[in-house]
Amino acid sequence: MLRASAAVERVGVPTVSIISSGFLKQAAVVARGLGLPEMAIAEFPGVPMTQSKEELRRQVVELLLPRVIEGLSKPIQRGEPEREVLLPQPEEAVMSGTLDEINDYFHERDWSDGLPIVPPTQERVHRFLQFTERDPREVIGVCPPANREATVWNVAVNGVMAGCRPEYMPILLAIVEIICTPEYKIEDAGSTPGWESLITLSGPLVKALGFNAGQGVMRTGKQANTSVGRFLRLFIRNVAGFTHAPEGADKGSIGQSFLVAMAENEDAVADIGWQPYSVDRGFKAGDNVVTVQSVVAISAPTYSGTESAEEHMKIIADVIGERACGYWTAIGMVYANWHPLIVLGPSIAKVFAKDGWNKDDIRRYLYEHVKMPASRAEHYAWHCGQTGFRVTEAVKLGLLPHAYHESDDPDRLIPVFQRPEWIGIVIAGDWGRNQSKGYVCNHVQGVPTSRKIVLPGNWDALLAASRPKS
Amino acid sequence: MLFSMASCFTGTRRSQLLIMSIHSPSTEPAYDVVWPLGKPAYAARAPNQRVADLSNKVIGETWDYLFRGEEWFPILREELAKRYPGIRFVTYDTFGNLHGPNQRALIAKVPALLAEHKIDAVISGIGA
Repeated sequence: MLRASAAVERVGVPTVSIISSGFLKQAAVVARGLGLPEMAIAEFPGVPMTQSKEELRRQVVELLLPRVIEGLSKPIQRGEPEREVLLPQPEEAVMSGTLDEINDYFHERDWSDGLPIVPPTQERVHRFLQFTERDPREVIGVCPPANREATVWNVAVNGVMAGCRPEYMPILLAIVEIICTPEYKIEDAGSTPGWESLITLSGPLVKALGFNAGQGVMRTGKQANTSVGRFLRLFIRNVAGFTHAPEGADKGSIGQSFLVAMAENEDAVADIGWQPYSVDRGFKAGDNVVTVQSVVAISAPTYSGTESAEEHMKIIADVIGERACGYWTAIGMVYANWHPLIVLGPSIAKVFAKDGWNKDDIRRYLYEHVKMPASRAEHYAWHCGQTGFRVTEAVKLGLLPHAYHESDDPDRLIPVFQRPEWIGIVIAGDWGRNQSKGYVCNHVQGVPTSRKIVLPGNWDALLAASRPKS
Repeated sequence: MLFSMASCFTGTRRSQLLIMSIHSPSTEPAYDVVWPLGKPAYAARAPNQRVADLSNKVIGETWDYLFRGEEWFPILREELAKRYPGIRFVTYDTFGNLHGPNQRALIAKVPALLAEHKIDAVISGIGA
């Protein structure tokens, strides 16, 4: 809400922003990033969602009210004007030391993710820059809430640190372009659900760069999948400012670790005559495409053992649809946005294709068959803190389709999947087993966003020179 | 091979090696490393002048429809009205859910609504 307060302040009207106790440090980062570090804040004591009505009233009258009055009325004591901080120039060394000394230095400054980093020397950074024709000084975008510039240079620096190979640079640039688009809402990557960004890679680069699309696709272990996934988390920490307790803007209450990059098994896709995920995302088959989206939860491994597409579908609808998505979809309704991703094992996709199903048939089935009572969605939303949400009201505002208000019965059944076309489907994982998994998104925060990967003109020669010599 | 390597570093010999590595000047290479962050892309400014007396003033409410604002905004209104005669409120429903699906579009409308309702100050909640 500080963004709303900043919009008010910018037109000359004073504000006071109510922030509950646990969010004060996040507020400080956001306010600084908005250019209003001295914004008036009124602390709401404790956790409003766990207070009784009486306690809430007492807290508001005795503690919050005086703070609101003070914030609106009392002149703000200006602090010492911030001395101009001389920021390091891109090529300037910030320290010199051994591997251990560098890691200590970076950890102390929250420039790392807790794992050892590869020292970002100029030489290593320049090796990455060879894999792009873009100017290292180019500003790709600005990453809120810290509102720091994402540049070609600092993409390379963080890529080095994460353990990427130089030839991953075109992928890293596409990833950062995605998170810098306003639609991705990277500023909300520190919201309390603790969502993580999932990278999905489609196209010939999967094989060319040695990504794993098969067994254990989402495990750490393969350098390509692992280091690219790590890069994104590191970049979000360093450039967007999402460090966590005790000082940071990352309010993921429990959170989760970074996800390794997922690679699509396009051989399996071609084998059954389907189109790759890149085509679903609006590109041509054969394009190298990276897609990034939020993941807030992952379903149980979903086993379906049958030669019938419909029987597979029933289990997937039950486990991934009803059980995994059926809770958090309530928050998707609040934000009128819901983009879950389903990863089908190759053997299961093959059964669907054999029975004449395509991805749209799967999407339609899920939309039509997975439902929940409207009252339950409101119940889940309220407990999450969305206390102002009503399904019927969202339909009236045009945020949810008419299917969500076909009657006034509070227990009427409404779709768990808002729109069939919003369901992503990727084929990956172990070909020798019959497993699928669902990746639950975080609604409007981290909507699936894709970019075509741009390779430099001399890509083949560069790649040949850079690949490990066996 | 691994077994025989490990057996080289047992007992006294292993202790001596560890002590040497702690107390000897490092022979490891040193690296000159660069900064992994980016330049801040904002200019800081001071908040606006406060409203010394809230009597007869118009207070706007902006809300993200979270964390029981439907309960505490009315309490704030009631208590502020007791203390400041003539105070008026432009309630949060005028602005809509500023953290919802239409966040950007609704925030863009805020300046016009402030002017239309001649709002003197805003209470905004809840969260960063």
